Amino acid sequence: MSTEPPAALGPAATREARREVAAAVAPSARPVVRRKPSRYRTGGPGSGGSVPGRMVAGFLVAAIFLVPYVIMLVGSLKTRPEILRIPPTYVPTEWRFDNYLTMWSTPETPLPQNLVSTIVISVSATLLVLVVALPAAYFTARFRFPGRLAFLFLVLVTQMLQPAVLVAGLFRQFLAFGIVDTWLAMILVNSAFNLAFAVWIMHSFFASVPKEIDEAAQIDGAGRWAVLFRINLPLVWPGIVTAIIFTFVAAWNEFAASLVILSTAGNQPLSVALTKFVGQYDSAWQYVFGVSIVAIVPVIILFAIIEKRLVGGLTAGSIK
Amino acid sequence: MTTTPTDAAARPSPSPDSRPGRQRPGDRPRRPAREVLAALPWIGPSLALIIAIVLFPAGYMAYNSTREISSSGIDRGSVGLANYATIFDIPALPRVLANTVVWVVVVVVLTVVISLALANLLDKQFPGRQLVRLAVIVPWAASVVMTTTVVYYGLQPNYGIINQLLADVGILEVADYGFTRNAVPAFVVSILVAVFVSLPFTTYTLLAGMQSIPGDVVEAARMDGATKARTYFAVILPQLKPALAVAAIINIINVFNSLPILRIMTGSIPGYDADTTTTLIFKLIQSDRRVDLASALSVVNFVIVIAVIALYMRIVKPMKGVDE
Amino acid sequence: MKHPQLVEHPDTTKRPLRLVSLTLVAGLTLSACGFGGSGSDETGEGGTVTLDLLVPTYSDGTKGLWDDVIAGFEAENEGITVNLEVQSWDNINDVVRTKVQSGQAPDILNIDAFAGFVEDDLLYSADEVLSEETVADFQESFVENASMDGKQYGLPLIASARTMFYNQDLFDEAGIDAPPTTWDELAEAATQISELGGGTYGYGLPLGAEETQAEAGIWFFGGGGGYGDAETLTLDSPENIEASQFVQELATSGATQPDAGATDRTPLIDVFIQGNIGMIVGLPPTIGQIAEKNPDLNYGTAPIATKDGSPVTLGVADHLMAFENDGDKQEAIGAFLDYFYSADVYVPWVDAEGFLPVTQSGSEALADKETIAPFLDLLPAAQFYPSTNPQWSTAQGAMQQLYGQVAQGSDPAEVLGEIQARVDS
Repeated sequence: MSTEPPAALGPAATREARREVAAAVAPSARPVVRRKPSRYRTGGPGSGGSVPGRMVAGFLVAAIFLVPYVIMLVGSLKTRPEILRIPPTYVPTEWRFDNYLTMWSTPETPLPQNLVSTIVISVSATLLVLVVALPAAYFTARFRFPGRLAFLFLVLVTQMLQPAVLVAGLFRQFLAFGIVDTWLAMILVNSAFNLAFAVWIMHSFFASVPKEIDEAAQIDGAGRWAVLFRINLPLVWPGIVTAIIFTFVAAWNEFAASLVILSTAGNQPLSVALTKFVGQYDSAWQYVFGVSIVAIVPVIILFAIIEKRLVGGLTAGSIK
Repeated sequence: MTTTPTDAAARPSPSPDSRPGRQRPGDRPRRPAREVLAALPWIGPSLALIIAIVLFPAGYMAYNSTREISSSGIDRGSVGLANYATIFDIPALPRVLANTVVWVVVVVVLTVVISLALANLLDKQFPGRQLVRLAVIVPWAASVVMTTTVVYYGLQPNYGIINQLLADVGILEVADYGFTRNAVPAFVVSILVAVFVSLPFTTYTLLAGMQSIPGDVVEAARMDGATKARTYFAVILPQLKPALAVAAIINIINVFNSLPILRIMTGSIPGYDADTTTTLIFKLIQSDRRVDLASALSVVNFVIVIAVIALYMRIVKPMKGVDE
Repeated sequence: MKHPQLVEHPDTTKRPLRLVSLTLVAGLTLSACGFGGSGSDETGEGGTVTLDLLVPTYSDGTKGLWDDVIAGFEAENEGITVNLEVQSWDNINDVVRTKVQSGQAPDILNIDAFAGFVEDDLLYSADEVLSEETVADFQESFVENASMDGKQYGLPLIASARTMFYNQDLFDEAGIDAPPTTWDELAEAATQISELGGGTYGYGLPLGAEETQAEAGIWFFGGGGGYGDAETLTLDSPENIEASQFVQELATSGATQPDAGATDRTPLIDVFIQGNIGMIVGLPPTIGQIAEKNPDLNYGTAPIATKDGSPVTLGVADHLMAFENDGDKQEAIGAFLDYFYSADVYVPWVDAEGFLPVTQSGSEALADKETIAPFLDLLPAAQFYPSTNPQWSTAQGAMQQLYGQVAQGSDPAEVLGEIQARVDS
């Protein structure tokens, strides 16, 4: 994407502009500097300078971060009685890989539909956030206007409200809109409540793109929107990726509002579906853990695909 | 705290006055109304979404905080500010507020410090780094509820795997220590889990920040004979400040409003020794069935967060470099 | 709406935006529907009525059982469809309150307490929706606990009673001949079993927040105290304080599992099932759980030990209730409930959930069933929560949040005083 020259500009001007930007905008655009062999990164407190030392530390870190999910995975492969056995077994005595098959057709919840609902809601909410937050982030980064800081603070305020207490009002409101128990309602909720981070992070990325680039493009006759989409967008791509991940993960795991607003079992996301395995006296923990693993996998895959852009971009904007 | 001249300083930096009229000398006099109007197509959709979705529930919460609402949810009329008076009369409130402060400060500080170390490690070249980075990201992908649930399950007396492991290696005599059944250990474990789930985001933010520190800055410091530690604290850390500031603000808000960890870890413990304002709101709803009181406490909670964040922004100026 | 200074080139600039918008519009249009059941609960054209039924999960078979009931009912009653919503016990109160607050109460609700809804004048009385035969079939003791001011509003659904489960092997090992009948015997037996060591506990005491009021109630009733009645709640009576002092002594002397004040019931029963607890108060589904998880457990059941040895138990009934809402579905609600309570439908349902039936016909049909027989015999002596007292839910919430402190060494009189103060305020 970032190699596509903006059509509104002449190719030479573009190259010129891009080089300028490359010099100015942070990390991903400055490969030459970063890949230099002589690097400060051999130093710093808290980690040994030797490569084997780092490998050991890295292994330990990875192990610690994975422990809970290994417990989860192992639990999901146990039989129902074994999961609560005393003393507990570290490794299942009987591996129940078919838990991953049977979970899709339990009477408790229509899991395939739950998965579809989760995907539809998270993907749509993420797209909506992008469409809405992108122009706002760009404009607030580029121009001063009365109420600009107020706007940015207002956006952040949405993050400070307690979902558990807001759901009563949300439910009432969607009732009036006539969209209770629809995906649309949850797409709107997830978009509205995740807008803040998307605006803030993209704002800081746009702010790091030098204005001169915009001006050069405008002199060439490009419109304001063209400048945004053709010139700025490719440069802040890492910031957009970050916003995508944040919104997506938050929407994927949202619980409090979905619980009340979505009443039809199939419409509910995985986070709500999970609770259906928790009974009054007894819970199907193997399914609770299994469904959790299933819910993590798509997000991990998404991460694996865009991890590099994420690292490249997270705070490029806030670096002076 | 010396700042070595860098190519960063040489970059063309945005002019401080960047209002729309800038390109046109003839447009000099500011026209606020017109500027706002010009901004509308850009910020309008965001405003519309927030107003359409967030405004009513937030207002409804404030409204509910002045009503008497029965346990079944029926509004029985206005009680003025009586709910607030009841809230401030809760005997456990000082303890709960103190817990909240400890909770936010300890979790955020630990998160930032550990993330700095982690980012430092993940920034360096070593075989398998890619996999380690991916492992660090997993708690971000997993829902906080499930991460907490599995730790809770592991720490259960008798049938918890972590408890059993501690017994098998000889730290515990019998695998029945009640990590989740006493206020102090449960609170400590909750803090650890909260740090654990906050690390991926914070680490990656700092990692991105570190990668954008120009190599020659550090090089220069090195040549001047600075030690590794000195280079880190005098050169690298100051450069990381913007990233740190953004990471901290988001962590403060999230940790302040975090419910699931404490709810799961400390939910069975009697009394309020392990509660924060957020879990107290939850108890008012769930156990006391007083959504009116819960709304009042939420409003108080909201005011506190706003104050904290406003103060933070005043002191740290996380948007500096962007706004100025 | 153009920017004042700039000229736009619509053809080259808006394409990406348009593409995203298009995708989004398509997505939103699609998403306005979701998987059926759009929550419409108006009486539709052609005389079809839709009933909303909201129930909690008792077991992981709950949804399937209700699906069967609904399928059978809809086959017999053309023009009525039933929308089922199942929620976990953790969440159902939040869902109900939010719906009621917005005037969207379900038509039929399954939950424990109904007094709050009656207070707010939301429910049909039993005779308004049920046929006379169905009303007459409820057992007398349950009707009493489902009535307020002489009028029955709650429709008893299931009952459970508590009895003591004991581990015969641990009894043998500790040299205990017979299950204890008095508190003193219980304390002695429990201490002996705890002394076996190795992670065995004499008495399983679940005073954690999950169901504090049940375990505490058993001790209160066993000492001649209780929670009060439909008019007045009394939690800090001398009898209750005495019982709490005994509980405290039991917990702090090591005769119970550690941290009794913060131990929830469900996980503790699992520990009993695994054979590590000498005695615990259990309920009907416990029998099924033992059969599933540890069929080799050598256990027995016995009456709950009391201060003076006279048997007492705690009975708990959950209820269905019918909401008036717009008042236009009375008939359909009645048809569904009459169908549900007919012996052919109700008996298999209650049997599969492993609870005790509340109808006379149901009791007769299940009288010989060995898994519930020990509990059926106890029912006549059962004491119930004063759940028709509108303050009861406050008392229950306060018990759950505070009473466990007794097991942690707090002064019982003080703790009960604080709970009483909350109820009175």
